[in-house]
Amino acid sequence: MTSVAVRADTAPAAGLQRRRRSLGWLAVVPLLAFTALAFGLPAMAMLDGAFTVRDPATGATSYTAGNLTASLRGAYLTALLGSVKLSAVSAGLGALLGLPLAQAVVTSRHRALREAVLTASGVLANFGGVPLAFAFVATLGNAGVLTRQFGLTDQGWDLYSFWGLVVVYLYFLLPLMVLTITPALEGLRSQWREAAQNNGATPAQYWRHVALPVLLPSLLGGLVLLFGSAFAAYATAAAMVGSSIPLVTLQIADALSGNVLVGQENVALALSLDMVLVAGLVMAVYLPLQRRSARWLA
Amino acid sequence: MTVLDNTATTPQPATQAATVEFRRLRREFGPTVALAGLDLTVRPGELLALLGPSGCGKTTALRMLAGFEHPDSGEVLVDGEDVTRVPAHRRDAGMVFQSYSLFPHLDALDNVAFGLRMRKVRTAQRRSRAAELLDLVGLADKGARFPHQLSGGQQQRVALARALALRPRVLLLDEPLSALDAKVRLTLREEIRRLQQELGITTLFVTHDQEEALSMADRVAVMHAGRLEQCAAPAELYGRPATAFVAGFVGTTSRIPGRLDGGTVDVLGRRLPVDGRIPAVTEVDVLVRPEAVQVRAADDGDARVVATSFLGAAVRVTVRLADGAEIKADLPAHETAGLTAGAAVDVSLPDRPVLVTERTS
Amino acid sequence: MARLNLWRWAVLGLAGLYFLVPLAASVVFTVDVPGQGVTLDAYTQIFSTGGFGSSPLLSLELAAVTVAVVLLLMVPAMVALRLGSPRLRPVVEVVCSLPLVVPPIAFVAGIGTVLKWGPEQLSRTPLFQTFVAIQNPDFPVVLVLAYVVMALPFVYRALDAGLRSVDVGTLVEAARSCGAGWPQALIRAVLPNLRGALLNASFLTLALVLGEFTVAQLLGFQPFAVWIVNVSGSQAQLSVAVSVLSLLVTWALLLVLAGFGGRTRPTPRG
Repeated sequence: MTSVAVRADTAPAAGLQRRRRSLGWLAVVPLLAFTALAFGLPAMAMLDGAFTVRDPATGATSYTAGNLTASLRGAYLTALLGSVKLSAVSAGLGALLGLPLAQAVVTSRHRALREAVLTASGVLANFGGVPLAFAFVATLGNAGVLTRQFGLTDQGWDLYSFWGLVVVYLYFLLPLMVLTITPALEGLRSQWREAAQNNGATPAQYWRHVALPVLLPSLLGGLVLLFGSAFAAYATAAAMVGSSIPLVTLQIADALSGNVLVGQENVALALSLDMVLVAGLVMAVYLPLQRRSARWLA
Repeated sequence: MTVLDNTATTPQPATQAATVEFRRLRREFGPTVALAGLDLTVRPGELLALLGPSGCGKTTALRMLAGFEHPDSGEVLVDGEDVTRVPAHRRDAGMVFQSYSLFPHLDALDNVAFGLRMRKVRTAQRRSRAAELLDLVGLADKGARFPHQLSGGQQQRVALARALALRPRVLLLDEPLSALDAKVRLTLREEIRRLQQELGITTLFVTHDQEEALSMADRVAVMHAGRLEQCAAPAELYGRPATAFVAGFVGTTSRIPGRLDGGTVDVLGRRLPVDGRIPAVTEVDVLVRPEAVQVRAADDGDARVVATSFLGAAVRVTVRLADGAEIKADLPAHETAGLTAGAAVDVSLPDRPVLVTERTS
Repeated sequence: MARLNLWRWAVLGLAGLYFLVPLAASVVFTVDVPGQGVTLDAYTQIFSTGGFGSSPLLSLELAAVTVAVVLLLMVPAMVALRLGSPRLRPVVEVVCSLPLVVPPIAFVAGIGTVLKWGPEQLSRTPLFQTFVAIQNPDFPVVLVLAYVVMALPFVYRALDAGLRSVDVGTLVEAARSCGAGWPQALIRAVLPNLRGALLNASFLTLALVLGEFTVAQLLGFQPFAVWIVNVSGSQAQLSVAVSVLSLLVTWALLLVLAGFGGRTRPTPRG
């Protein structure tokens, strides 16, 4: 990458290189020290706590897998599965709807429109949370503007339900999908379409045999990323539904506030560990897909 | 590597080499005119190079034959049959693009077999045909490689094999060598030529590199501003350019001021017959190739050497005439002793018909 | 062609509706109160509600300090990695990606556990005072620590993208051959070329901190996002009005930032 290594053949350059290397260490150490403290410490504490119970009588602690088993049982399991289901459905819909939206944006000849949509996507994908929840409460909540206008409640609409949350989550998942898939769509070369046509492929055959397979890693990557984003979301759900929908993030918050059975104080940490495992799995799937896509579309 | 040695694969010559005709093709992109009425006929089995500066319309013409562009007016005929309205995927013309046209998710073999797959040819059959084609372009052992594992030259060979997979009636090459480095370009261009002659397939080759066009093609069509300037065999194009543009674009040409008098022209103190079109003015420029100019050291000469540059077998000498015109001459290295910058020289032309054009400056 | 355009405009139109209607409806919701007609009461009330002023201010302070800290940590490290020590690069990449694997709520669970150690095990050591100090509700340093960690992946991506387009090695060598010292070479030659990337990183960090709710709420602090939820219990109109205001203020801030950087496009590709 850097041209530095190549030029290290003369004596002064070698000295310079050594100097740079020590400089590199010097500059990186604060970053590593900081993350060890601010990230490593809480992470270790969580890992340690997830396997620890404290005897209420003696105050002594001991290691156990009890927290983890408890976190995979009863209401906790329901919440974990609820989160997985909500994330899977909204990520699936987000990916499915985000692709045509991104394609419409990418193929648009209006540069200003493209830039506007991409900038707005950047803001919306990062700026979910509380204001988003209240915007939807005002729009589609029980007293929301659209709800009253069209009498949606009589037609069975309820924002504080599974599908209500899906509609809200799409508000930040769709922009995230647009951001993720746009570079891939831009990387589809016109030569591929023409080469396919030249080899006798109809437009449908081009999409089936060339465009979709080439986009597949990016599509799957986007899907996985959306899943992770929906899975980790807490603020929107907390501000909107309290804990009327079983979600793992809401359960952790509940448990952290001390709302747990005696002897299960650390179950929140075990649930957190469950989440980390799911998120780790997401990353483990996402990164290779991302790498393959980058190689094809570079 | 060597295509001719691969007799085992015996490439079947195209059943019947096709004739391609462009008739009065016009195409405008907004304010720019890409094609301003192009008329051109490609003979069966020949390799015709479309040569011209960028923006002259050569690629547009090729893409019209492939079906990727549509003319505003005029028509494209293959074997006398109008294909102007035929969609690209039914054109029966194999195309090799400039670069990056291989499908990145398929290996070399599947890339070549792509068209056969679209035609629903059975797997075993299309794989053996694709292997045969890869062998033909010298990549028999690279079938399992993906495009990003192949060099630029190898990628273009695979693209060539893919273009031939459906036994097209016409082969279209859109600057297929321009993204490669000089050495690969030379070997690949010989190979394309050999393969084309072996298959006897009618081929259009778009390029902006005159050396490429002259060395490969049966005939070269020089285009300029959406029009055909001249279409002729390389030797004729070089030796007898039909227009000043062709003379200037193909090879190096110097302009020497002269005076037209009937069918002859007064230039450098001689009277030479005029070749080709005779302009209606008397003040003209005579167009000369550097190898046709004779330069001799002469103390009484009124021309001066401005610069010399060593080209290997020859030395190119730039000379300024008394009237300020600069001309270039290629001389054998042994004749250039004493011809340093500032030396007084005498310039003359051989007693042959010359091409003249209206004076531009 | 026409069919294609129709399809495109239908998609863009539907998306526009989905993204604009909730915003418009929020505004309508706050000014059109059933039984009272059109009124701006919700907005005037904001100013008299307890915590208005201090909460947004706290959020802005947190954002400013977080941006400063994360850039001070990351920029020297990233530039140094480009200049030399390529073996450290994967280490930093992994370290900066780790926070993606730990969702904020799991992260805050860990932080809470660490903070509990303070009173339990360190009460007789000077470290205890540190624990108290970083949890000062007027300016909770612990939130800055958490936000810096959460911003690392985005900042890494933004800076990495910026550094990819600049040949730092040549820039520094050119500046040094013109007689600049190391610090001068970095400040005068490298940083100006990273302006876009720096703004991008700040942009993402700012958006993250201003909207952050999970960590702050669960650690019991009250920056802007938490405050909105807390006041919402009493009056629906009020909280929506505050949300609308907060969206407008945030977008205005981001626009100002984008204006400084010319063309800024935040793309968290990961």
